[in-house]
Amino acid sequence: MDLPNSSISNFKRFLTGILLPLLLIVGIVGYAFNYFFEQKIIFTNPLCGAFKINRIITETHTNEIPIFGSSRAEGSFIPDSLGTDYFDYGLSGSKLDVALFFLKEECKKKKQQRNIIMALDFDDLIPEAGDIGYYIPNAAYAPVRQLMGKGYKPYYALPFLRYYGTFDTYFKLYLNNKLEVTKVSNKGASLEKNEFSPAYFNMLVEIRNGNPTKLKIDTALASDLLKLVAAHAERNFIFVVTPYHSSFMNSIAATYPLVDSYLKQLTANKNVTLLDYSRMPLADNMYLNTTHINWKGAIAFNHALKDTLNSLLR
Amino acid sequence: MLFNSVEFLIFFPVVTFLFFVLPHRFRWSLLLAASCFFYMFFKPVYILILAFTIVIDYYAGILLENEQDKVKKKKYLIASLIANIGVLAVFKYYNFLNGNITGIATLMGFKNHIPALSIILPIGLSFHTFQAMSYTIEVYRGNQKAERHFGIYSLYVMFYPQLVAGPIERPQNILHQFYVKQQFNYNNAVHGLNLIAYGLFKKVVVADRLSEYVNGFYGNIGNTNTITSILAFCFFSIQIYCDFSGYSDIAIGTARFMGFDLMQNFNRPYLATTINEFWSRWHISLSTWFRDYLYIPLGGSRAGKAKWYRNIFIIFMVSGLWHGASWTYIVWGALHGFYNIFGLVTKDIRAKWAKMMGFYHLPSVNKFINQLVIFALVTFAWIFFRAPNFTIARAAINKFLEFNFTYNMVQICAEKGPLNLALDFVAILLLCLSYYLPKNLKLRNNLLFLCVTTFIIIILGKNGLTEFIYFQF
Repeated sequence: MDLPNSSISNFKRFLTGILLPLLLIVGIVGYAFNYFFEQKIIFTNPLCGAFKINRIITETHTNEIPIFGSSRAEGSFIPDSLGTDYFDYGLSGSKLDVALFFLKEECKKKKQQRNIIMALDFDDLIPEAGDIGYYIPNAAYAPVRQLMGKGYKPYYALPFLRYYGTFDTYFKLYLNNKLEVTKVSNKGASLEKNEFSPAYFNMLVEIRNGNPTKLKIDTALASDLLKLVAAHAERNFIFVVTPYHSSFMNSIAATYPLVDSYLKQLTANKNVTLLDYSRMPLADNMYLNTTHINWKGAIAFNHALKDTLNSLLR
Repeated sequence: MLFNSVEFLIFFPVVTFLFFVLPHRFRWSLLLAASCFFYMFFKPVYILILAFTIVIDYYAGILLENEQDKVKKKKYLIASLIANIGVLAVFKYYNFLNGNITGIATLMGFKNHIPALSIILPIGLSFHTFQAMSYTIEVYRGNQKAERHFGIYSLYVMFYPQLVAGPIERPQNILHQFYVKQQFNYNNAVHGLNLIAYGLFKKVVVADRLSEYVNGFYGNIGNTNTITSILAFCFFSIQIYCDFSGYSDIAIGTARFMGFDLMQNFNRPYLATTINEFWSRWHISLSTWFRDYLYIPLGGSRAGKAKWYRNIFIIFMVSGLWHGASWTYIVWGALHGFYNIFGLVTKDIRAKWAKMMGFYHLPSVNKFINQLVIFALVTFAWIFFRAPNFTIARAAINKFLEFNFTYNMVQICAEKGPLNLALDFVAILLLCLSYYLPKNLKLRNNLLFLCVTTFIIIILGKNGLTEFIYFQF
């Protein structure tokens, strides 16, 4: 040790005058802010992925028909137009591992409602957790933490600090839900109002035409889904393929048989129904891009889906 | 290791604590070991390049000091400079030169058989090479004694706060400080902490936030309009300033905490009223490096007007090339060279014009107009700095020249949403408000400043762990 007295007294002054008060203030104010933020911004907003995960973990709505899936689930269904009991749990950017998590949590519940809707994305049969913000407030729950994988950071256990870099994401979703400037929100669904110019949309189509999409299936996850469906004969699994632009369908033609054979295995189960709207004819201005429909497209799609679901669930 | 990472949040207090508790004779070895660890966190193998230049320049310094014969002395200096520039040439400029040779050969109908190298540019190579070169030049000039302690010399090149992105120090300023027995000092610690917090604010709240918009524009120029282009150009000017000066603030603050004084690197450059003044406020350590080691040896402003202008142009072309091995950087440098020369040539005409317009009686209006003009000129040049190639630079400029001011929210927001754009403006507003603080950040109420800055960083900061732009140089 090489510390003279002046150095020690300077350090004591720094510790008591700056460092400790700073940590104390940040700790107390941060904790209060954290409480307010979670209660008022995150867990009251049905558009927020963290809200959806929290809802599936902690709440049981006995008559609810859940809609699971990725952005195609989140941006294609209008729950209120389908009926009073639908809720959209779709998480943008997530793929099959996350959908499986939701399905498992749903199947744990004892409910009157037997039906589950799963929006199937041909391109999403692989693992992908999506935005880390979905999981941070729920990271204490082991299956959620497992989904986060290497994305989990020890500081997610610390209130306030755990939201570093993600505050605006939650706040943006909160405003989206309240103001509906660029999107329409409806029971967890978030539907884009935006319509691209024909020139820009044509450019997207050209890009799609020039880049064939190679579909992949994660065999372990696909097998888990088959097992889950078979193990829960008491539930009806309705797999819905929402509309794609024809350019996308053309781009997957070479690898589509892979998905098709998997879908055949899936639909071999008596409790599985497949509603395939992938080739539903829609005008170009009803698409957000070649894989997603916008608000206009969603209205047309839900109109068609409602009739089918009504006859199916009668 | 990035300053804006959790790793650094642990590294810095641990190293600083050990620095103060260790006996003085061991401190250089602690700092050197910490600097090696810091550098090797990026890509360990590149430490060998640093070791090469350190060994060469260490012995070159001793030879230069011992040698009395001027011709031999010059030869030693040239050998040392060739070794340093050679490292730069291989790792930074080889593929650029080879690509140009291929282009010329193809034009002439030949085929270039020289293979390209598949190497990643070592982080901060231009910075530590220039710092090493300044040592040998200063020893050659007799302004600095050769450093006989190999460890201390290595630390001069490798001192972790300024290792990867400057400030590019001069040996006279920093070497002797490693011999001083630093004591923990309250004022240094608080001032250092203020600088670190302010630098982090600039980086994660302003630069990283604006980068989303800028990347959105340059990544999808097709779906933007003139408003988007103007915003993206201005945002990049602010982004690069906050990114780089933020790094410098953290570097200076980290060193200050331990009692070391590093040179100032930025002095609110966008408040400059002339291009010349801009360069005396922007990346000061590099500008003065070029001034001392290239501009003045070339004759500076004393060799007649034609040579003066030539020297200015050379300095800025070389500065462009220093930043990156690409023609876009060279054009960026050439533009600044042109601005400088144009500013000098038209100095009298502009003064007359200002007098004629009556601005002389309104000095604050005159100053503001000049600041706006300089900001616009610098912002235009940044387009070539930011664009990865001329095709994209041209597309960006064309987008501006379309004069399409259509109100399209998606385009104006660069597809990032209105909240992101609003927060971009909040970040800029906070930056402007920070200009009301004393320049040196020596404050009356440090605790209040640190608390407010910490909250702003946590709530508004982006957690993308994005590298500092200047790391690539």
